[in-house]
Amino acid sequence: MHDPNVRASGARVRKKSVLALTLNGRAREDFVADGMLLVDYLREVAGLTGTKQGCDGGECGACTVLVDDRPRLACSTLAHQVAGRRVETIEGLARNGRMSRLQQMFHEKLGAQCGFCTPGMIMAAEALLRRDPDPTPERIRQALAGNLCRCTGYVKIVEAVRAAAETPVGSEGAR
Amino acid sequence: MTTLVRPPRIGTKTPLVDGIEKVTGRAKFTADLPAADALVGKILRSPVAHGLLRSVDTSAAERLPGVVAVVTGDDCAVPFGVLPIARTEYPLAREKVRYRGEPVAAVAAVDEETALEALKLIVLEIEPLPVYVDPAKARAADAVLLHDNKPNNIERAVHSAFGDLEAGLAAADLVRKRRFSFAEVNHAHLEPNATLAEYDPERGWLTLHSTTQVPYYVHLTVAQCLEMDTSRVRVIKPFLGGGFGARTEALGFEVIAALLARKAGGTVRLLLSREETFLCHRGRPQADIVLELGMMRDGRLTACVAECTQRGGAYAGYGIITILYAGALLHGLYDIPAIKYDGWRVYTNTPPCGAMRGHGTVDMRAAFEALLDEMAEELGLDPFEVRRRNLLTAPTTTLMAQKVMSYGLGECLDRVEQASGWKERRKSMPPGRGLGLACSHFVSGTSTPKHWTGEPHAVINLKLDFDGGVTVLTGASDIGQGSSTIAAQVVGEVLGCDLGRIRVVSTDSALTPKDNGSYSSRVTFMVGNAAIAAAETLKRILVEAAAKKLEAAPEDIECGDEVFRVVHAQEPGQDSGLSFGDVVREALIDTGTITVKGTFTCPKEFQGDKAIRGSAIGASMGFSYAAQVAEVSVDPVTAKVTVHKVWVAADVGRALNPLAVEGQVQGAVWMGLGQALSEETRFDDGRGLATNLLDYRVPTMAESPDVAVFIVESIDPNGPFGAKEASEGALAGAVGAVMNAVAAATGVRPTATPLTPDRVADLMDAKERQAAAKGSTP
Amino acid sequence: MTLMPAFRLHRPDTLAEAVAALAETPGGKPLAGGTDLLVNIRRGMADPPALVDLTNVGGLDDLVVSEAGLRLGATVTLAHIAEDEGIRAGWPALAAAAEAVAGPTHREAATLAGNLCQETRCIFVNQSEWWRAGNGFCLKIEGDVCHVVKKSLRCYAVYAGDVAPVLMVLGAEAEILGPAGTRRLALASFFHEEGRSHLALAPGEIVTAVHVPPPNGAVAGYAKVRVREAIDFPLAGVAVALRREGDRLASVTVALTGVASAPVLVPGLDRLAGTTWSEDSAKTLTDAVRKSCNAVKTTVTTPNYRRRVAAASAVRLAGDLWAAAGEGNAS
Repeated sequence: MHDPNVRASGARVRKKSVLALTLNGRAREDFVADGMLLVDYLREVAGLTGTKQGCDGGECGACTVLVDDRPRLACSTLAHQVAGRRVETIEGLARNGRMSRLQQMFHEKLGAQCGFCTPGMIMAAEALLRRDPDPTPERIRQALAGNLCRCTGYVKIVEAVRAAAETPVGSEGAR
Repeated sequence: MTTLVRPPRIGTKTPLVDGIEKVTGRAKFTADLPAADALVGKILRSPVAHGLLRSVDTSAAERLPGVVAVVTGDDCAVPFGVLPIARTEYPLAREKVRYRGEPVAAVAAVDEETALEALKLIVLEIEPLPVYVDPAKARAADAVLLHDNKPNNIERAVHSAFGDLEAGLAAADLVRKRRFSFAEVNHAHLEPNATLAEYDPERGWLTLHSTTQVPYYVHLTVAQCLEMDTSRVRVIKPFLGGGFGARTEALGFEVIAALLARKAGGTVRLLLSREETFLCHRGRPQADIVLELGMMRDGRLTACVAECTQRGGAYAGYGIITILYAGALLHGLYDIPAIKYDGWRVYTNTPPCGAMRGHGTVDMRAAFEALLDEMAEELGLDPFEVRRRNLLTAPTTTLMAQKVMSYGLGECLDRVEQASGWKERRKSMPPGRGLGLACSHFVSGTSTPKHWTGEPHAVINLKLDFDGGVTVLTGASDIGQGSSTIAAQVVGEVLGCDLGRIRVVSTDSALTPKDNGSYSSRVTFMVGNAAIAAAETLKRILVEAAAKKLEAAPEDIECGDEVFRVVHAQEPGQDSGLSFGDVVREALIDTGTITVKGTFTCPKEFQGDKAIRGSAIGASMGFSYAAQVAEVSVDPVTAKVTVHKVWVAADVGRALNPLAVEGQVQGAVWMGLGQALSEETRFDDGRGLATNLLDYRVPTMAESPDVAVFIVESIDPNGPFGAKEASEGALAGAVGAVMNAVAAATGVRPTATPLTPDRVADLMDAKERQAAAKGSTP
Repeated sequence: MTLMPAFRLHRPDTLAEAVAALAETPGGKPLAGGTDLLVNIRRGMADPPALVDLTNVGGLDDLVVSEAGLRLGATVTLAHIAEDEGIRAGWPALAAAAEAVAGPTHREAATLAGNLCQETRCIFVNQSEWWRAGNGFCLKIEGDVCHVVKKSLRCYAVYAGDVAPVLMVLGAEAEILGPAGTRRLALASFFHEEGRSHLALAPGEIVTAVHVPPPNGAVAGYAKVRVREAIDFPLAGVAVALRREGDRLASVTVALTGVASAPVLVPGLDRLAGTTWSEDSAKTLTDAVRKSCNAVKTTVTTPNYRRRVAAASAVRLAGDLWAAAGEGNAS
């Protein structure tokens, strides 16, 4: 009997299907392999390279994105698992080219040095501030503990998140 | 020295000029570059740590549809190595493999799946040889040689002695000798290694985008290995996700990408996994240190005898420099009348070690600071006091011919003693909690480039055009440390213009002047000085133009805040001055676009003493200094060490960008804490066990402490505006401070790192056993 | 770009569909948070023909606190467990264990059943395919030798879940659904001490919920020993539940993780019942815990330390709980 999932060579067929989701506020549909990881979908299909891959197994947090406002490791999630959901990446935070308050504070307080962990770090911090607009430094350290940074020693990252929390929403860009 | 403009562009906290790209996700790192038609590159690595490579059969892989190019050791017979005297490595192994993970073959294919399938079709025949991970075993008389020309697998032995050692030891009231062992650590820069290589067969041109700190070395190495004329090669460094020394030499994968692109006649994207990035290693070697110090009752040091054996890994890399640095930087921190040093760099079947932040000095400095503390305690001296007894007085020249022109260590000690509450708090710490102090220092750039060409040590170009914009062209690699920002600040300071007028274009060999690279903390000092020189030249042109327009003498023109005026103007019309744009328009008349150049060269007297062998290493125009106090506690049940806070004072000469200085110092201290507490590469018979970020334990935010930074400005006479380096000096002190704090907390002196709970538990057990043994014998 | 092996992805909306999909593809695996399974697939440690994503299955992430205790759906996330007020009030040890898992973003995706059923781990296993192939693979996957215990016929890969030991001392039961229907199994009987087959699940069976009885006067805690305060798996983890009546210990149960191929309920503690907590009790507990550890060189940290710290942590935790229960009695 012929199994439609197996090629004549014995290799399994990589099935593709339609993935519909909202990405940074825009609805889109793509034809995506069942096995494609969310991080590869974002970078290779959607062309959003702000989301980084820094490790082989979900240990670094550089690929953190938001799914329905909660942080998620895009390297340990299949693209199809976010079907119908609201996905946000670092590219979606700025409004009309102006940085969000977190982005602004990461910039001004030097929460980013080389910048490679920064997108994931900011997305994890964004998720935190959406749930807890005024977190203590200790809470920030717990909430971002899955995001490794090799440059800053984290001190200025914590300061940046605190500074963002102290910046009134809506005052972005007012410098 | 150039005077500062008002308000100054330097000395103020300045966000990075390329920071907005980083926080918005717009920054393009190598793996982010558009490469729609690129072939996928993959590397086949040796599964054997040491063996004779009998054959590499790629025929089946070459036949696989979709495979465009396959390369092996046969495709490149030119060895490379960062030191011209130690080119020991081939991009793809030839005849022998010397570490597990060494590249043996590589493919370029139309997609990921085909490339991986092709790797599986390559058949290797390797005849295994004994594997040496332990340097002692590699040095054994009957050990098989990794490299035939290096007996006993010793890559380099270094011996030096200065001063009257015997007299020093004889004069000492206390002499102590201790053995230390420091585990190997890795940079773990967060961006994995990657290269995008484009070959244009029509022109014979090769363009590389790569994850490098020194595009110039990549340029030279690729041209050399591919036997191409350097003019046909272009190297661009996009945004770079950290380096810490890992990327200060051209690495095999970069050459492999180039070989594949040329063979395929197209573009190849080679992205390394985290595991592969670990396999490229170049980290700080495992070091066994035997240290002996002589001390007077009042704390003065009389002699230092140091031995260091480094497990260098399979190839030379920077190894010779590393083993030299370990001895060279015994000098220059304290006043020691006699110093003897013996070092051995040993070849082993592990990934090659290289330069890592605090190159060569970190382990030796940590050992030194630990032994200094132990001896101080034995003599009843306060750790601060013993260090103050041994301070240098600048300017001075060390026994190894290093010129110390500025020296803020005394002030660093004062600052952290006060900030940490040392005097009041030290004696009242609860059980299991302690404070520890350590000092450290580092060069602001090595004064002698590895590739001697006779060129200046740094070159900056400035372009000024009709639009009034100033473009800074620099080959200096911004790797996150903020070098582009420093260049912009310095030029802005000299010109007195707005930073918004200045754009920095960096690290593209087709556009920017050659730079020796971001290593040995040379950029602020050397490139900063070159930037001052360039900006001064441009300023002269502008001042002359303003003088002409204002009908005044150039020496009477002052410029600041984008306005050129005549000093003490007599005529009322001259009072309002000229805007920057007006002056630029005047300056461009008859000449058009203005390009100027500034250079910097370290004078000979700062390049060591020809009579002292090895003194080129550790020679620098300026030394940074740091003192730090760490507060730790040790859990009595788990033996886990927690660092609660670090107070660090750093003498950086002058903080051009205090924001970046704080960030660099915090990062350096924290990286030292990682080495002190949790980080360690591990091998099982040559197999890397910790080639991932789970088992290689980079500290997380949860257990990382606050690091309070105090900036000390000793204003170096040769630094740009008095500045010295800020990013490496503080690292070593963190390791020593934690060791000393753990000793204070537990009453037992650690001699090995990292101080993981299992190691500390063993220490505490040994202490209990000792106490019990003492108690049982009358 | 990570090339994943080819597999069919099913995204059922109901449990019935999920079980049917698993039955249809032998070797297929349930997928939820993906933090364990997808990482293992990426490393070539698993190559299932199909994945059945449970995250859309309605009601599977329900969390119900009632007088009968706690009912936790299989796909309740660890973050949810850690934050839930009802759990923090009634079963704080469970919240603490959930909060101790990996990093905060892992916990947002990682589910209860996924955590319970996570693969056993070993430094010779949790490596890339290239790494393992060059090593001749091993007993656990594709090979026939054990690199940790030479000539071993069993696999010593270590179980490193944080939540299981707490659920064991709390007397929890797993609700299991398979082709043959539903069954309930005490957590204490859910695991086998074998690195390759540590779960008592038949082919096609999945955990659908976990039931936790009311605390009934017992106090419980979880102590996790790790090098870093986040991301790391436990070098050793200890869960203790005890019931104190005045100056007597009515009962004490202790379970361990990270020190054997399954979470272990420490036997031999009955003799502590009826006694007052003392140095002797600590000694008894130490011996019992050390005996229950089956730690070998499956992690970069020495087995000796893991055994030692498991025992010492159990003693400290039991002592703290004893004292806390005393304060509770006094108030």
